[in-house]
Amino acid sequence: MSLPAVDVLIVGAGAYGLSSAWWMAKRQSGARILVVDEGEFASGASGRNGAGFRMQWGLELNIRLCQESLRFFETAVDQLDYPQGLELKQDGYLVLAHSDKAFATLDSVLPTQHRLGVPSELLDADECVRMVPGLGRNRLVGGSFCGKDGSISPFRLLDALLRACRRDPNVEVRYRTRVERLEKSNGSFQVSLTGGPVEAKRVLLCTDWAVPQLLAPLGAEVPVVSLPKEAIVTVPRAQMVKPILVSLEHHISVNQVDRGSIVFVVARPREGTSIESTPDFLAYAAPKITDLLPPMADVPILRTWGGVSSVTPDMQPILGETEVEGLYVAVSSFRGLMTSPAVGRMMADLVIDNDTNDPILAQLGPRRFKTGELIVEPLLNQA
Amino acid sequence: MQRSIVVVGAGPAGLAAATEAATRGAHVTLLDEAARPGGQIYRQAHSALGDSEYAEAGERARKHDILARFQSVASRVDYRPDANVYALFGNGELHVAYGAGSEVLRPDAIVLATGVREMAIPFPGWTTPGVMFAGGAQAVLKSQRVLPGKRAVIAGCGPLPIVVAAQLLRAGGDVAALASLRPLREMLGNPRALWQGRQIVYEGLRYLRTIRRAGVAQLSAHVPIRAIGTERLEAVVLARVDAGGHVVPGAEREIACDLLAVNYGFAANSELAAMAGAELRFDADRGGWLPASDEFGRTSISGLFVAGDVAAVRGALVAEAEGQIVGAAAAVPPKSIGDATMTAALRTALGRRQRHQAFQTAVRTTLRVPRGLWNLTTDDTVVCRCENVKLRDIRSALDAGHSSLNAVKRNVRSGMGWCGGRTCLRAVAALSELHAGIAPPVIMTPRPMVRPITFGAVVAQKKAVDA
Repeated sequence: MSLPAVDVLIVGAGAYGLSSAWWMAKRQSGARILVVDEGEFASGASGRNGAGFRMQWGLELNIRLCQESLRFFETAVDQLDYPQGLELKQDGYLVLAHSDKAFATLDSVLPTQHRLGVPSELLDADECVRMVPGLGRNRLVGGSFCGKDGSISPFRLLDALLRACRRDPNVEVRYRTRVERLEKSNGSFQVSLTGGPVEAKRVLLCTDWAVPQLLAPLGAEVPVVSLPKEAIVTVPRAQMVKPILVSLEHHISVNQVDRGSIVFVVARPREGTSIESTPDFLAYAAPKITDLLPPMADVPILRTWGGVSSVTPDMQPILGETEVEGLYVAVSSFRGLMTSPAVGRMMADLVIDNDTNDPILAQLGPRRFKTGELIVEPLLNQA
Repeated sequence: MQRSIVVVGAGPAGLAAATEAATRGAHVTLLDEAARPGGQIYRQAHSALGDSEYAEAGERARKHDILARFQSVASRVDYRPDANVYALFGNGELHVAYGAGSEVLRPDAIVLATGVREMAIPFPGWTTPGVMFAGGAQAVLKSQRVLPGKRAVIAGCGPLPIVVAAQLLRAGGDVAALASLRPLREMLGNPRALWQGRQIVYEGLRYLRTIRRAGVAQLSAHVPIRAIGTERLEAVVLARVDAGGHVVPGAEREIACDLLAVNYGFAANSELAAMAGAELRFDADRGGWLPASDEFGRTSISGLFVAGDVAAVRGALVAEAEGQIVGAAAAVPPKSIGDATMTAALRTALGRRQRHQAFQTAVRTTLRVPRGLWNLTTDDTVVCRCENVKLRDIRSALDAGHSSLNAVKRNVRSGMGWCGGRTCLRAVAALSELHAGIAPPVIMTPRPMVRPITFGAVVAQKKAVDA
């Protein structure tokens, strides 16, 4: 008896999974693509993040990933045929330094950014406060700013990708569908799914921290662990914070969206894969937030939520084929949404066209952990 | 050792639970969002305004008695008005804000007696100023002693529209029409139920007499299908509906008014229980998503109890009896719950709950909203007021395959605004079922905060209090 067969099975319908499916379908190779997700629409990390994107990085590869992705965001409404709009906001991104060391790091990466055409600039504390009058002066040294950076609605982007995928007769997206077992024999993959088995020629895993458990039975390994985060959204307010903010020391990002609500994503070191809001989270986050932005003391909190992001040993994505031929991974390392267009394009190159020439892809393959050639992004390796 | 108990809500269930637990020697903290105890039904006017004179004598006596019993133990209860219980976690932590400060409580037992809110069926024009929930109109009358409108149309199902129409008349208001979804004889046709609920039925008949004497037009099997007016309500269009809730064409009438008070039943305030992770069940006739609980109010979470309408909508008399039962269960050591000593002491309350519950069960069909009535919501009708989401948006999300409340929310933002879905969630669920066949509906993920509090209030939080 032969199983229902697909050319590519993508596991995970987050930003990486759906973007990969859309780019693969765009190649018009005739490949049949099935995307499965254990949860429901936007229920994973992609649907729970802070929505920001920035080109302000220190490594050429990260800058290029985000530049390519931003070019896509700017034309995505047309490319994805999504007239509802993606809530793309380009009011800039201000990366704040609250120590001389952090400020020196921002200064050190500026030449790379400028060489690649990122219109970033360094601001002192006064200039930061002029840009965001509510900023607290406490320990503030300065920041770097890029006016082209901004945010995009995760829900809208995922919905636009989903609808575009579903318009393509060669793509099927199934939610509430779990991979029970993944095996390989005779050059193809036999996959037990909720609702019945399928056979796939190639498999792309886009489940971030859940990738290792899918790989283990096949004897393959990718080093990635979960990174739980929690977020806060306030009631709508008149504009208080125009650019997106991130503070390297507070480990907080701030995004006031168009409807006026202010979204805070707070990283707090903890383990596990729970998306529940934790009881002591607000008591942990509120003093940091009012230290960063003192006028927030009077702003009512509307809601909190949790999400589970992922992190790799060098905090860089892992993109490429594993030791098992035909089995690929795309692991985001907590910047999935902002890099998803470029990564989707690369995975289509790789999985559909067998094209391994992309220089970024060459650096981000899973083999780097075996050879020890880890990548150091200066803006992610703050003490 | 003295057990510490926090009761949330100072309506009939919460007051009875607090009174019983304090009588049994527990250390009781009673948290309530209002400035004075009583809840929705026994809401007290501002102390300068004196007591309400519009309710039936029987209800006034019940209000007086329950408040008096609470007063008799009040010196032993830590009663905190104006409290905003904004989160409850599965570890038993209750987070409370009081104005500029906040606090974390961790008692031995928590009794949720958070009652209900009114359930909205959105129809064209329902967001026009002048259209209110019937209970909302009554609350204005009870607490501020002012008429919420000069000329009113009252509509909906169950007893509340009748009570509100009569009380508005007694307060000197003008009621142009009382439209009922179901004919009253459905309830009056059950003699056994009438006998069990004779106390309530008698009061209902007195309210009806007030309405009849005032010459109010009474239209049965009629509902408002459209509210007219831009700045302010000017008129209401009423139409006849069949037993399935479908509008009968050609039977519309327009009535000038500046107040439309509507009630289509209630939705349980079960957010705190849901947030804590308590197992829920869905019962459309009894308040929607309800914490699963046993006869002593125990939920699936150890130490978390529910009492009164939040456990299943059954009215104030059941709530009061059940509050006493659950207050006792929370106050005794867990292993003593339901033992002979405890049940013997509660015989009266258990009997009273059973009797009033039997009446409520018999009349529950009068509260049932037929599925067809949800067709009143048109594509252009706003369903989620906070985020201005229309039925058209919700249907578009459903058509695109977003087949759960969470997925619809992530698509069109229904339930993401100020009220956290308290007003629209039941409507989104019912409309999803009507238009996309999604049933039974799974609740949208409940999250802190149940009500907004400021960052400053969190910063000023006192440390967790272990009893």
